[in-house]
Amino acid sequence: MSIEVKDVTFRYAPGTPLETTALEGISLSINKGDFVLISGAIGSGKSTLIRHLNGLLRPSSGQVTVDGIAAYGKKVKAKVGVLFQFPHQQLFGRTIFEDVAFGPRNFGLRNPELKRQVHDALEMLGLGQGICPTSPFSLSGGQKRLVAIAGVLASRPDYIVLDEPLSGLDAEHKKSLLSALQLLSSKGTSVVVVSHQVSDLLSVAQKIFLLDRGSLVFSGTPAEYAKHSPPSMPEINFLMKELRSRGFDVRDDVFGIDDAFSEITRVLGLKEAVEE
Amino acid sequence: MNTLFFRYVPGNSFLHRLDPRVKITGMMIVSISIFMSSSLRQLASVALLFFLLLLFSSISPKIIFDAVRPMLLFLAVIFILQFFLMDGEPVFYIMGHDATYEGLRHGVLLILRFLFLLMFASLLTATTTPSLITAGMERMLRPLPLRKLGISSFDLATMVFLSLHFVPFLYGSFSHLRDAQISRGLDMRRNPLGAVYSLSVPMVRIAITSAEEVAVAMESRCYQGEHRSSLHILLLQKKDMAALISFSIMVLALV
Repeated sequence: MSIEVKDVTFRYAPGTPLETTALEGISLSINKGDFVLISGAIGSGKSTLIRHLNGLLRPSSGQVTVDGIAAYGKKVKAKVGVLFQFPHQQLFGRTIFEDVAFGPRNFGLRNPELKRQVHDALEMLGLGQGICPTSPFSLSGGQKRLVAIAGVLASRPDYIVLDEPLSGLDAEHKKSLLSALQLLSSKGTSVVVVSHQVSDLLSVAQKIFLLDRGSLVFSGTPAEYAKHSPPSMPEINFLMKELRSRGFDVRDDVFGIDDAFSEITRVLGLKEAVEE
Repeated sequence: MNTLFFRYVPGNSFLHRLDPRVKITGMMIVSISIFMSSSLRQLASVALLFFLLLLFSSISPKIIFDAVRPMLLFLAVIFILQFFLMDGEPVFYIMGHDATYEGLRHGVLLILRFLFLLMFASLLTATTTPSLITAGMERMLRPLPLRKLGISSFDLATMVFLSLHFVPFLYGSFSHLRDAQISRGLDMRRNPLGAVYSLSVPMVRIAITSAEEVAVAMESRCYQGEHRSSLHILLLQKKDMAALISFSIMVLALV
């Protein structure tokens, strides 16, 4: 059970003066339950790569398979739920329920399962069922984004691919979204997040793929990434490295506030005091 | 997302180097002749003219095809309506309507006219940057007494410039939206009416909000529509005049 990308190259406008190689010889695999971060600068090919994962784009050469079958057709789209950038612009339903139910209904789900899955998706993102009869256009920008994400989660795909889901969200909503994604990942759903905001995701991602001008330049764990690309590390990681360089026996592969807090309290022997 | 829809394609061909006013005038002449064409022979001459220009442009036919492709469904609908709703000698009968020879002939002529208009327009945009088209239009409109109507050639040129910029932008937004809805299981073939609803509602919102954002951004940078200097200084040269005269003669002779 995995998405396999094998030696994929993709060119836009082939055979014209506007021909651009967006991806060059990309190979990677995403396994069941993985929490993957795909990062890279603007124009590095991130969005083009995720369009291959559910067959919206077909590679110029190479192959993409989802659970052993070629990544084309509706069956694959039901398995791989993709949310693109600017999801708040994609809403169209008269009510939030209609909008979120659009995907699962297209994939053949009917009431009462449909209703349950829509409610579950909204609950998971902290929006609540009470929001269902509201028009999606009356929401704030961040809430619209969450409704669009709920629209993907409601189909319960095996793989969830989200393009820049954190941009435009405040700290509280970021935290609740990441918790929801972590929960899904722990239950066996693979989560792929495409983001510039590496520092927000290092504490939750298990694998990182870094793209540069269409090529895969790094593939590994967050700890390996910390050694590969130090400038994009979160501030908390610099603090832990500084403490370590000053003789404190803390881990330097810590990327989140919660992990750093428990590490520091452990080293200082304050754990018991904090718990008390 | 990379779209070829009515995009400028950088190059240094003969057509690229022509003064934009010559190309705009040529487009106007050929548009009139296309609408005046009433036979397949005349439209075949238009096709010949187009392929001749394509040779002078170094533009790949794929660019032209990509600009026309999104309109094919629309053209097919026009053809079917003509074929079935026009009175005349019946060819066959289906669902209470006669398909007629006259409908077939008119349908073919009509979609070919649209097709050639789109092809010439895409050739113009592929060989001329939007800013040059705007500068050319502004210079062409300047002698007209538009001030008496409360508008200036600069206002009109700015509107044309913005409209030209919005075509690829809106097409890009549409492609983006279509991908998003297809990812959520939208089947455009089986449920075309549902597709029209789920795509048109956000598209209308995107068009209106984007236009409003552009207007606010222009106002906040003190745009007032008065005389503005242009990046391009346009000078009609002998080769431009020669090209326009030769093209006009060819249109008159062929069409």
